[in-house]
Parts: sequence; C-alpha cells; structure tokens
Amino acid sequence: MTDLKLDIKNMIIDALELEDISPDEIIDSDPLFVDGLGLDSIDALEIGLALQKKYGIKLKADSKETHEHFASVNALAALVESYQEKN
Amino acid sequence: MLSFKIRGWNAYTPSLESADSWGNWLQNKYILPTDAPKPGLKNIPLMLRRRFTTIGKYSVEAAMPILAENEHIPLVFASRHGDVELTLSLLQSIANNEPLSPTSFSLAVHNAISGLFSIARKDRSEATAISASENLIPFALLEAATQLQDNEHVLCIICESPLPDLYKPFASSPPFPYAIAMVLSREEGDTFHLKSAPAIASEQGQNNELEELMALLLSHRHCARFPSTQDVEWTIQR
Repeated sequence: MTDLKLDIKNMIIDALELEDISPDEIIDSDPLFVDGLGLDSIDALEIGLALQKKYGIKLKADSKETHEHFASVNALAALVESYQEKN
Repeated sequence: MLSFKIRGWNAYTPSLESADSWGNWLQNKYILPTDAPKPGLKNIPLMLRRRFTTIGKYSVEAAMPILAENEHIPLVFASRHGDVELTLSLLQSIANNEPLSPTSFSLAVHNAISGLFSIARKDRSEATAISASENLIPFALLEAATQLQDNEHVLCIICESPLPDLYKPFASSPPFPYAIAMVLSREEGDTFHLKSAPAIASEQGQNNELEELMALLLSHRHCARFPSTQDVEWTIQR
C-alpha cells in the first residue's frame, strides 16, 4: 500500500467515524459507494470536505468527474496525485 | 382527563439498565459512575450505527427491549434540547468560519434520531418529533395518548442530556443523559390518567421531571406532578 493510499484510507476512516474498520480492510480498487464499503451521499459530502481540508482540493458536488474521482481509493489517490503535480 | 395504558416501559443510562437499579438510584440519588460501558448497538449494522449520537444510542437501548421483532408502531420522540452538543458544535463552526460537517448538519435536526430509528427497525410508521421548554413529559404523553385514536399502540421516547457549560446558566437540564421508552396501548397494561388543572404559577417552575416520571413508573408513587411557570399543573396518576 502506498503512503498516499494509506493516508486517504485513514482520512476516510476519521471523517466518517469508521473506527471499527482498519485501513487494510478497505480494498484499493473496491467501490466506496453502494457496494464495497457501502457509503452513502452524506459520506460523499463529508469526504469532499475532508479532501478540501487535507489536500486543498475543491470539487463540485454534482459533476460527473466528481463521481469518477470518488469511485474507489485508487481513484481518489489518482486525483490527489494529479492535483499535487499541478500545484 | 385522558386515560391510556402502558404495555411496557424501559429507561436507560449507562449503569442504570434495570428497573431495580433505577429504583435504587431514585431512593439514594447517588452520583453515577462516568466510566460505565456505553451501549454497543451491536444489533444495528455498523454503517448505520455510527450515525447515532449519545442520546440516539440511549433511545435505541431504551426502546428495543419493549418492542417485538418486526412490530410496526408509530413513534412520538420528545426531547427538550435534542442533540444540543451537536447543534452547538455546528454554531461554533459557523462562528469560526469553518465549513460545516454535512453529517453533523444532517443529524442535528430534531427528528434525526426518530428517522435513524425508523431506518434501523425498517419501520415506516409515522414518527412525530416534539419539544417543549417545560412539562415535556406530560406533553409527550399527551401527544402519544391522542395518537391512540388511530393506533392500537404508540411508542413514546423521551430523552435528554446535560446542557453544554455555555448554556447552563440559561436553562435546567438533567445531571446525566438518559432515555425513557414507553409503549402506550389502548388495551394492554396498567392504566394511567393524564390531567391538567389550573394552578398558581410557581416561580421555581418545574420539579425534576425525570424523577417524577420514574417514581410513577416504578410505582414508588401513584401520582406524578408536573408544575410549570404557567398557571397550569399537569398530573399523571395510576
């Protein structure tokens, strides 16, 4: 597991109060929403806020790209990496 | 006067989980230990469980034992201040120009606990969330008892927690968080009579509502009195 992916998993666990879940229980490529981890729309907003606080990334809540970025830990890691390269 | 029956009741706070322990506390008024284990809510899936705040968890602990597995029952949820810690944390975020937590925002509404409870029990019966600055207990029972017009049974949950220090000078609140659940019924259980009568408004207002109700439910007394700062006094007799 890369450090970035571990950081993202810990960010998700903290932001969503998932203390009963350990980072290695979250599979990098698994869907975060509905199946897989089973998060809901409020969680999506909460992750959006956490991304903003931790990495300075601002996303539009209703855009198609945001949907894709939130698909999995892998997708979130790619988003953070591309953002960090640009800035 | 309004009469109703109570099929079952249960009160919960950590370290007072049985009628006997409540009875003992009522007679001795000892300070509750603060390190008592908190409810685990193991029967509620993790993803839903994390959304329950303290009084939400206590409400579940109080209500679940007196409900049948798949019982569909309307709910009257009553709390004077609701999840006041959560409300205050949001107000502080606004004051500090910080973004609000969407989760906290969604859970700070007064009917959040009854909504979560409905999802957890997969029960789509109607839920009513009420609040009152005084006489909350008689008003909660009044609402629940009147709903017996349309329903065989009505669940009434009353919960409260101590106010954050910031608010303490402005209103009374109980010494510890608690939840009491009662199933009101048309036909089953002991009969209670709810009554309001003109009274001389007392300056001190309310006595301890929690203690009054518990003494009545535990049959320590046959009449619970709920005075108010208005010119009315509520009584519940059994």
